[in-house]
Amino acid sequence: MMTPAKAFDQYIDLCGQFGAPGASPLLQEINGLGRSMLAEAAKAYRPDPAEIDTLRPDAMFATDYGINLMRVGMPVDPAATFRCGVPNLGSLLAIVANDSFHPTEALLRNMPEGLTVCSLNKVPAGLQHVASQVMRETLEGGGVAEALNAAFLADGVFIHAAAGVKVDKVIQIVNISAPTVPMLSLRRVVIVAEEGASLRVLLCDHSQTAATPHLNSQLVSVRVAENAAVELYDIEEDTPATNRHWTLDARQQSHSSLTVNSTCLHGGLSANRYNINVEGDYAETSLSGLAICGGEQTAANTVTLTHSGKHCTSRQLFKNALFDNSRGGFGGKIIVRPGAMFTDAEQTNRNLLADDNARMTAAPQLEIYCDEVKCSHGATTGQLDERALFYMQTRGIPAAEARTMLTQAFMVDVIDNISFEVLRQRIHVLVEKRLTGAAASCDTCATACHTS
Amino acid sequence: MSQELLKVTDLRAGIEGKEILRGINLTIRPGEVHAIMGPNGSGKSTLSGVLAGDPRFTVTGGSATFHGVDLLSLSPEDRSHEGLFLSFQYPVEIPGVTMVNFMRAAINAKRKYFNQEPLSAGDFLKMMRQKRAVVELDNKLASRSVNEGFSGGEKKRNEIFQMAVLEPKLSILDETDSGLDIDALRIVAGGVNKLKTESNATIVITHYQRLLDYIKPDFVHILYKGRIVYSGGPELALELEEKGYDWIKQQVDNQ
Repeated sequence: MMTPAKAFDQYIDLCGQFGAPGASPLLQEINGLGRSMLAEAAKAYRPDPAEIDTLRPDAMFATDYGINLMRVGMPVDPAATFRCGVPNLGSLLAIVANDSFHPTEALLRNMPEGLTVCSLNKVPAGLQHVASQVMRETLEGGGVAEALNAAFLADGVFIHAAAGVKVDKVIQIVNISAPTVPMLSLRRVVIVAEEGASLRVLLCDHSQTAATPHLNSQLVSVRVAENAAVELYDIEEDTPATNRHWTLDARQQSHSSLTVNSTCLHGGLSANRYNINVEGDYAETSLSGLAICGGEQTAANTVTLTHSGKHCTSRQLFKNALFDNSRGGFGGKIIVRPGAMFTDAEQTNRNLLADDNARMTAAPQLEIYCDEVKCSHGATTGQLDERALFYMQTRGIPAAEARTMLTQAFMVDVIDNISFEVLRQRIHVLVEKRLTGAAASCDTCATACHTS
Repeated sequence: MSQELLKVTDLRAGIEGKEILRGINLTIRPGEVHAIMGPNGSGKSTLSGVLAGDPRFTVTGGSATFHGVDLLSLSPEDRSHEGLFLSFQYPVEIPGVTMVNFMRAAINAKRKYFNQEPLSAGDFLKMMRQKRAVVELDNKLASRSVNEGFSGGEKKRNEIFQMAVLEPKLSILDETDSGLDIDALRIVAGGVNKLKTESNATIVITHYQRLLDYIKPDFVHILYKGRIVYSGGPELALELEEKGYDWIKQQVDNQ
């Protein structure tokens, strides 16, 4: 059997054959840094035994995908093809087509004062050091997947709110996968809310091919400064051909608030990793996600939430509804560092196994190195309440419909963590459509990214 | 009226291999109210569960014909559409499903069964308002999850509210009086009486005579060890209240 580190050899070889793909000095610097770390990081890599084997980096990255190192352009102009069709959401929309950033006209026209949304190749001179620092930090705290992303990164998204700037419109990044050959797309998002700023970001992953296997490695860094607030929403609407390796590196300062909410509706393999460091005091963190898996789908959320500051509160709620032969995973670790007094941390994982062949792996963990804290965790896996089902049937609701209603009800509290009302309602509808098997569940999405 | 609404013949059923109903015979005609009484463990709730299609129970023999339809061959939802209603002894809480969505799904499923269009939003709300009045059910419960956080009285009123909405031909009230204070009992029983017509019928399952002061039965049956061992008029309930079940038990056990 191949040792785990071998899986990354092809990428190390590639570094020697091709120059840095970054189009700007900033990304070239990151490419160089990633390359200098890659071999060591691969050697140091140890698979997590609690993780589902197919979602481990050495499994996901082992396939020989093409990387668009030559920067061959996509044959379509995504900004013209995909437009936000719903004025109600009033989103500031940008597209990432495979791995290239394309702002929309609306974004450029409506960009509020103090907000920057641009390609990582076009970061304004005054903010270059911010972008660079954040990306370096993520690399230094990361492992082989982070190094790999950096080594071949050619483009990415930079979102920055200056001190005190409160952006009420949602910034929406639609990641579109439309590869014509098996391809690895490296995606990078850097989100910075400076002191007192607030931001809402919606990331939509949408794949247009179920025929061509592809791997999306997306690395998202979020920095929430003192008194700042960031809401990050993530929707995955991919295909069985999509493999998604998604990593969040978030850091929070004092009196900051971070909300992360993820919805996985369709996909192939989805590995979502959340690494959150609460460094400041009196910070609040809300982390939640739901996955509805069917067919041969596999989806897992792996959380490492580290409390270093005092008087901080964190809430985690992850739910999976698993149908057919699908697999779900949850790995949740709360670390309370020495000195993180009065931490109040809660972690909940609930799973529904709707079919005999569906499987769930859950590994909740607490590591507490401080007294004077309140921490709890709980994980349950079970089936729909048979009594509720019978009760609904006696009122005339057919069994299949009752099951859908109960599954939807099971997900309700995760969706209710979305404070942005228009989006919350849309997710309710998307989840209902997903459960009733209605085709193309993006149809009713407020963003309507697929309409022209 | 001589026409039969429900005819149960030699019905046998059990749970996990244990026989509980050992040959039930019961005939109910439109306009009638039947009370089924009996000591604990006699099979009262099993009978209501089996008639409603509770999957926990297995029917091992006999038949049940509901206005000419083979009741036992139908799914629980189709039994509901055909006009059977079970008011649960312990109404089930369904977190995350609001009363409004629950009732809309129930009504529209029935309409679909009879090839009718779904009810419009306006007509639905109007219907909810009218039916709530039957049991003085608070409007604020509509936006709450089904039975979640309802008091004992609210849960039972909610059952009768659902009965009012679904307009069944035959209602089985399984210990509807349990957990009710005297005021709630009066409201719930009043609701049942308002819904009584010449063409529908009711089976009242109860331990106590108390409920029968409000819902007047035409017939009283005593269920014991899985069989109806004694049937009589309303006076039988009074006799039971006075003498308890022992005399019946003795009579049956000595046979």
